[in-house]
Amino acid sequence: MRYRVTHTTTYRYQQPVGLSYNEVRMQPRPCPNQQLLSSQLKITPLPCDYRTRTDFFGNQVAWFSIREPHREFVVTASSEVQIFPQPVQLDFSHGMSWELVKEALWNDRSEPLLEARQFALDSPFIAADAELAAYAQASFTPGKALIEAIHDLMQRIHRDFTFDPEFTNLATPLTTVLEHRRGVCQDFAHLAIGCIRSQGLAARYVSGYIETLPPPGKKKLVGADASHAWFSVYLPDLGWMDFDPTNNQLPGDRHIIVAWGRDYSDVTPLKGVIFGGQNHELKVAVEVENLGA
Amino acid sequence: MWVLGDRTQAPSGAGYALENRLAMSRVLPSLFRDTHVHRLARFFQSLRAGLNAVAPGDADTPRVVVLTPGPLNETFFEHAYLASYLGYPLVQGDDLTIRDGYVWLKSLVGLQRVDVILRRVDDNYCDPLELREDSRLGVPGLLEVVRRGNVAIANPLGSGILENPGIMPFLPGIAKYFLGQTLKLNSIATWWCGQARELNYVLANLERLVIKPIYRKPGERSVFGHQLSRAQLADWRARIKARPALYVGQEYESFSTVPALVAGGYEPRQTVLRCFMVARADGYTLMPGGLSRSAPQYGNMMISNQTGGISKDTWVVATEPQHPAIPAKRSSSLAGHGNALPSRAADNIFWVGRNAERAEGGVRLLRATIKKLFSNPDRDSPDYQLSLETLLRCVTSMTGTYPGFFAEDNESLLQSPEAELLAVVADESRAGSLANTVNRMIQSGYAVRDLWSSDTWRVIDEIEEQVSEARRLGKIGLWSMQEQMDQLITTLSAFSGLVMESMTRGNGWLFLDIGRRLERGLQLVSVLRTAFAMPQSEAAETRLLESLLDTSDNLICYRQHYRSNLELASFLELLLMDPNNPRSLAYQIARLQEHVGKLPREPSTRRISAEERLLLEASCLLNIANIDDLLNVSESGIREALDQQLSKIYALLAALSDTLTANYFRHGDAPQSLS
Repeated sequence: MRYRVTHTTTYRYQQPVGLSYNEVRMQPRPCPNQQLLSSQLKITPLPCDYRTRTDFFGNQVAWFSIREPHREFVVTASSEVQIFPQPVQLDFSHGMSWELVKEALWNDRSEPLLEARQFALDSPFIAADAELAAYAQASFTPGKALIEAIHDLMQRIHRDFTFDPEFTNLATPLTTVLEHRRGVCQDFAHLAIGCIRSQGLAARYVSGYIETLPPPGKKKLVGADASHAWFSVYLPDLGWMDFDPTNNQLPGDRHIIVAWGRDYSDVTPLKGVIFGGQNHELKVAVEVENLGA
Repeated sequence: MWVLGDRTQAPSGAGYALENRLAMSRVLPSLFRDTHVHRLARFFQSLRAGLNAVAPGDADTPRVVVLTPGPLNETFFEHAYLASYLGYPLVQGDDLTIRDGYVWLKSLVGLQRVDVILRRVDDNYCDPLELREDSRLGVPGLLEVVRRGNVAIANPLGSGILENPGIMPFLPGIAKYFLGQTLKLNSIATWWCGQARELNYVLANLERLVIKPIYRKPGERSVFGHQLSRAQLADWRARIKARPALYVGQEYESFSTVPALVAGGYEPRQTVLRCFMVARADGYTLMPGGLSRSAPQYGNMMISNQTGGISKDTWVVATEPQHPAIPAKRSSSLAGHGNALPSRAADNIFWVGRNAERAEGGVRLLRATIKKLFSNPDRDSPDYQLSLETLLRCVTSMTGTYPGFFAEDNESLLQSPEAELLAVVADESRAGSLANTVNRMIQSGYAVRDLWSSDTWRVIDEIEEQVSEARRLGKIGLWSMQEQMDQLITTLSAFSGLVMESMTRGNGWLFLDIGRRLERGLQLVSVLRTAFAMPQSEAAETRLLESLLDTSDNLICYRQHYRSNLELASFLELLLMDPNNPRSLAYQIARLQEHVGKLPREPSTRRISAEERLLLEASCLLNIANIDDLLNVSESGIREALDQQLSKIYALLAALSDTLTANYFRHGDAPQSLS
């Protein structure tokens, strides 16, 4: 499936901003089932210094600085990608038990496992604590195949938690999400990752987009889409496999990956330090267009 | 000897070791001559050479700065000391800015490129864009400049990872694998709990081990198992079991002791030694010495500056006499900074000047007022009372401690002014009080600690002590403070004298003296206005003149000059117009004009600067003023010309302060993170 994604972020400032430094992670990264066909980043006002690089996790980053005084700052990332569907249906009862995977993760010194091990540790937004472990426990019963345990966890999160964009923001701690059973896709991804890490296993955070389908018979609304987040787990026999707890599904060909890391803080789409501006207003618009097969 | 830990990102202590050494050699010079102690200077020469060597590109004389978290940091003193010793500017994060892929120092003369940063800010805090976004200590964009190789940071960002004590048990293996060598100094036995066997050992032996987290966090300390109760041990076991990889257990060793002088006798104290190394192209230079620190109480193994440890000079004794190394290029004054004086430093220096003068002028007037209050023979005469009341109002207007003696319904206040005068001396929380002014002066002075000679700093310490002494005496009563005021005037004068004699006449000195002259002018104008705008009986004014001449240290000068009775016209002549009286307004304005003319400016501008324009206007107003006009009492019953001219000049001087701030000290807006 081919998609065109347009992601526009607009800041309006109360006072002029004379100087800013920014980092953008909005260009879909290369990965096995996704090919980037074209991509461009439009920034106004024009930066005076602009560089791109690949970060530690392999994500594409644009670093820039703006020196022209401005009251409005707009970043638009437009990309076309081709998604090759993952095999979705698997026999969950087979595969290594989660205890064996954990054993391998902490003792095997092969490169993929060493690479995976860093995603088993705490990260800035996720500290695996006793509460997360307690919630996770029902899914991680002795001898269960890892993939089945994760699938069960994803289903439970989808069932137990309410999607509520009003309840949380970026600063809401995971314990609050767990206590009130509410949140958005970021929270659910963080929650699942925390649960998995609490069992001594590795999970990473994936940011990207999802194609939303209009209700039957209705036309799709422009700008109704949003950025999305889910998580990925390392399975020694299959490699990294994605799970979307918000939609209770295994991403197939409707998920577009932008970046991954330990948690949101590694893949923030737009970061900045500005001088001036005082208060600001933020508007984000995302559009995912299906261009056909 | 056991290695207890490694400090690899911004090790503190080398500056303290140096200071200990300099202090010891000053106190016991013959001891050093006779015992052939290895000198420390060579180590710091290596440090300077090392910093030059890591500079990117082929700059002949790379610009090196010392990056400090600022005066609130517990080791700020050392940062300032090292910066001053090495001759590098001491900067905080917002003294630097990133432009065109390079780091620049915001100095008085514009942006100056920085090649090397000697870092004393923890790596996490160095760039709020890419690292901790709540950091106000870093420079946004710094990481990108590092990535492009356009600045070198010593030690490099990320080097803090080697401080992890979890690495210690692996060091013998690492040394063998990479160097084919065994360790020359062994680490203290350490078990990293991230491994099952080690975890079990630590849990089983917790009560006799030291527990350390693998990252050092502010406020987090090592925990000694033998000091824990049963319940605490159980608590720690649970904590370690929950996250074993975050902890190590270490053998608890009783440290060796050294003799310490305690209450007049020698007592043993446990001691740790911190050694320092600096990298060269072909190896490392080791400091022949170090920082030995002892615990404050016997048996205490937790030794740190925060818990009141004592530090000692540490000698390495040679068999041969040690020749002095070529003296390091030192700048105890502003010489090392040249034009690269950071704007913030200039700002602080300016305020040291203003507050030093404000304190001195304030003490003089307070002293004269207290004297008048307690030692006047004719206290019942109405003239005495009138002149005292005016003097009290002068105290309020000069120190800016309004409403003070200007308060409405102030009869009782003027009748018994002691409490208010005490507050003006001693109430630290009151803006304008002597205690408050001296605090501000010391705060500004401390922020540019690297710029003062050690003698100057000693005087600053003394000023601080005398003010606390004055505050203490204040509890007994106002009269008991008089002698303290005399001493304070002497110390404050010593400060200005030392600065005058020992500071290079660079931009730093200019701003200090501008601050001083500006403040002296402002104080004089406000006192003269308060005292004489409203005419009083001649007898009352004569008494006032005497006190004010005493205040401005001009009584003798006046007598020599005029050899006459005190009269207002000659008094105003002396204090307003006399170009040779260093306490006159004309003198302050003339010095300010000279100084302002030397300030760095955009070379393209031909017209006079805003500062010059303000001073020119003040100078004209003063020059065309006529004493007879000034003394003239108008129909409204006040000396209108005097009042108006002085208030105009006051406004011009106040505007000068604002203009200097806008043109030279403005640090721009504070950064904020987008979210």
